[in-house]
Amino acid sequence: MKTTYIMQKEIKESILTPKGFIWYILTSVILSILSYLFLTNSELSLLDQGQMLYMIMNFITALGVLIGLVFGADSFAGEIERGTIEALFLSPADKTEIAMGKLAAALINWGIIFMISLPYLLVVGKGGQNLLIGIAYLAILGTLLVTTFSAFSMGLSARIKSMKNSLIIAFFIFLLAGSPIFLSAAQRGTWFGRILDLINPFADAINIFDSVVIDSQGISYQIGRFAIICVYTFLSLWFLKVSASRLEM
Amino acid sequence: MIRLPLVLSTIILLIIVSCVPVFGISRITVSINPTSIQANMGDKITYAGTITNNSDNVVNNIIAYISLANVTQGKEAPMDLEDWSANKAIKVDAIPPHRTYEGKWPMRLIDSGSYVAYVTVVDKNDNTPVSSAMSCLEIKRVLRLNPNNVLPVALGEPILLGIVIMFIGFRRRKSIK
Repeated sequence: MKTTYIMQKEIKESILTPKGFIWYILTSVILSILSYLFLTNSELSLLDQGQMLYMIMNFITALGVLIGLVFGADSFAGEIERGTIEALFLSPADKTEIAMGKLAAALINWGIIFMISLPYLLVVGKGGQNLLIGIAYLAILGTLLVTTFSAFSMGLSARIKSMKNSLIIAFFIFLLAGSPIFLSAAQRGTWFGRILDLINPFADAINIFDSVVIDSQGISYQIGRFAIICVYTFLSLWFLKVSASRLEM
Repeated sequence: MIRLPLVLSTIILLIIVSCVPVFGISRITVSINPTSIQANMGDKITYAGTITNNSDNVVNNIIAYISLANVTQGKEAPMDLEDWSANKAIKVDAIPPHRTYEGKWPMRLIDSGSYVAYVTVVDKNDNTPVSSAMSCLEIKRVLRLNPNNVLPVALGEPILLGIVIMFIGFRRRKSIK
């Protein structure tokens, strides 16, 4: 109940505001441009429909993770810098409930991004292979990844207590997580690239998308990568719980 | 006087004999099939390259690859076949004497224009690569997907979200008053 209250407060302050809503309009505009280019550009329109869907899914996941990291970086450090953390601590909710409320708000934010992206996914993947199963995987993996990265960023924000530093570290983490996008196929094929691909939850997620949407492989192929992502999610939640409980006024 | 024509004919004969290997059948020959194609953008086609060993010995470890060049006026350039999903080079371990090997290169046509395709064979024991004749490829420009499918979503959703943001702003201002 207290967690719900904190979540509602966060949603009112960060999401249901004209400034907060600009994120969603930007998301929508970028997805509009991407989808339009995919379907009308003479070269891009010749891409496999599965390939288009996979690329849009990667983009949506990256966007969700990025916004989750920024949300997380602001969660405690932002409250400390704005001088509002004391008021939050004086509420009946304990520190873990506050942390969970903030995390739930970050997940609602991801839910809105996912809902915004649905029409684009349907238009781009219409008539193609594995559309619905791809969307289901995006919903599950996106939620796990946003939970992982948001919780980690929140824990970091609670420990560092500096919005600027939390944000810089969050962006570094985002770049590190996005390394599969920057590495060439040959570099990813080396032993170093393969290990990086395996231990990086973001890379695991996009490899699952690839496997499901493009290669039409079943759940049995995804179990290992799923397990790694789940381990990261639990570790991040534990880190958030420990970091929030150590937070002092 | 009688000897001069004899010497001249001997010299000419020697020149002809020395030129025979150049104009004769080489050890390997390559041909490409089909010899011309007309298709649309997005179509998938397959080129077949037939490598023939004309010699009495086995030909080992040869490499065959396809090349595509854009010959459209003003766009003349060799093409990067990775974008066309074409197979890379094929390594042929051995072709027995007077036998052939057929390699296949499927590709997806991603851009319109006039092109030529040819197959080249490289034999490490021979310092000259052997290429097939050129196959003409004419690709017509086609838009495969109807853009109207995406326009209502691409334009409608940002506008809808804009309306929502205006509504939230309006409600906030009203509640402050």
